Amino acid sequence: MYTKSKYVERMSCLQNEEFYHVFEVFSKRNHKSDFQHQFSLLAPNHEMALVMAQENFMRREPVVDIWVVKRSDITKLKPEDKKALERLDNKEYRLTKGYGYLKKKWRKYEQQVLDEKEIMSWGGDQRGPNRNAAGSDSK
Amino acid sequence: MNTVDFSKLSKEEKLQQFMERIENGEKIEADDWMPDEYRNVLIKLISMHGISEIMGALPEKEWVPKAPSLRKKLGIMAKVQDEMGHGQLLLRVVEDLLEPLGKNRDDIMEDLLNGDLKFHNVFHMEAPTWADAGIIAWLVDGAAIMTQTNMLQASYGPYSRALHRICAEEVFHAQHGESIIMALAEGSEQQREMLQEAIYRWWPSLLMFFGPESAETTGSSKQDITIKYKIRTKTNEQLRQDFFTKYVPRVLALGFKLPDDTMHFDEEKGKWVYQQPDWSEFKKIIAGKGPKSQSRLQLRRMAFENSRWVREALGAKREAI
Repeated sequence: MYTKSKYVERMSCLQNEEFYHVFEVFSKRNHKSDFQHQFSLLAPNHEMALVMAQENFMRREPVVDIWVVKRSDITKLKPEDKKALERLDNKEYRLTKGYGYLKKKWRKYEQQVLDEKEIMSWGGDQRGPNRNAAGSDSK
Repeated sequence: MNTVDFSKLSKEEKLQQFMERIENGEKIEADDWMPDEYRNVLIKLISMHGISEIMGALPEKEWVPKAPSLRKKLGIMAKVQDEMGHGQLLLRVVEDLLEPLGKNRDDIMEDLLNGDLKFHNVFHMEAPTWADAGIIAWLVDGAAIMTQTNMLQASYGPYSRALHRICAEEVFHAQHGESIIMALAEGSEQQREMLQEAIYRWWPSLLMFFGPESAETTGSSKQDITIKYKIRTKTNEQLRQDFFTKYVPRVLALGFKLPDDTMHFDEEKGKWVYQQPDWSEFKKIIAGKGPKSQSRLQLRRMAFENSRWVREALGAKREAI
């Protein structure tokens, strides 16, 4: 029978820092989505890290792409530096927040403000024949 | 905004800021400052949780070759793999907590094998029949889901995120267990007897699973510390009561009995009344003196030995590059 110390000793010669590295795993759920951080894992190399990533984190979820990055290659903010990310509360001039009055103004001219919902819809099949027929932007 | 250099704060000031963050519902991350008590209680809790996932897969894996249908075989195989995956996630969380102490996965395994690292009492027990596989997936996992969902909002970010992944899969485990016991409950007289025996066999272990009501019962309990740091919200006893509320009516509805005639819900107190398990037995079991403690640890040693060639092959490849 194996003694405990012998087991640990034999284990340590392989399972030390040089053998395993921490990898951070990122994946894309579908072609539209951004890469998302999943979790980390221990693996001896990048190739194994990719295999382990699928086994550990993508047994069920749909996935179209995977990245593994050695944690030691990532530069992180120090905990105390994260404080600097707290934004000052004076960024409204960069946002649409101050333009709420336009809605009321346009109403006077029987028109509507071009808001986010409206503008983000323009990339679609806006110019299809049916829409054009019903729309107001006839040439 | 507080821009004082954090490293120049006194220990008391750091602790105060730390507690404020927890009170505000912020998440603590691996490289944040944390009091030793917090780090140590997390290491103890999460290494026990992670190792229990791995040791818990062992009694279940015995049933993979003997599952009664292909569908059930695939189900229990997927579950065993999930448990191992949960172990991987949780050990990673512990490793990051251990790093400043100069420790790693080797130390966790060493602690497991020399008996310093305990694993859940339920995984020291035998699983002699298919009904035991059913009870493990239905009631043992049910109890585990109770304790894990209780920590979904844990103040320690990495643990909370691991638990969200784990609990999403536990839903599958719960229904996999329900399907096993439902087939037996609606089966032959022999199958019903087998399930009844398994319920009797597992009942004391299920009561013990949540731990003692207070430190007075067994001499130690970390629940006050974990509640203080918002790692969990409910006490051991609250979780055990919740478990009764969810599962006792279901066991009875299927026409099965519990090995406790006194078990009932006291409307006035709003609590289940039940007979305490033998807590000295609990201490013995988690000290590695349960019926299967040593043989499962031996299985763990063998698994490591049998996969040695894989690690050596990978190591050789790395050197060649």
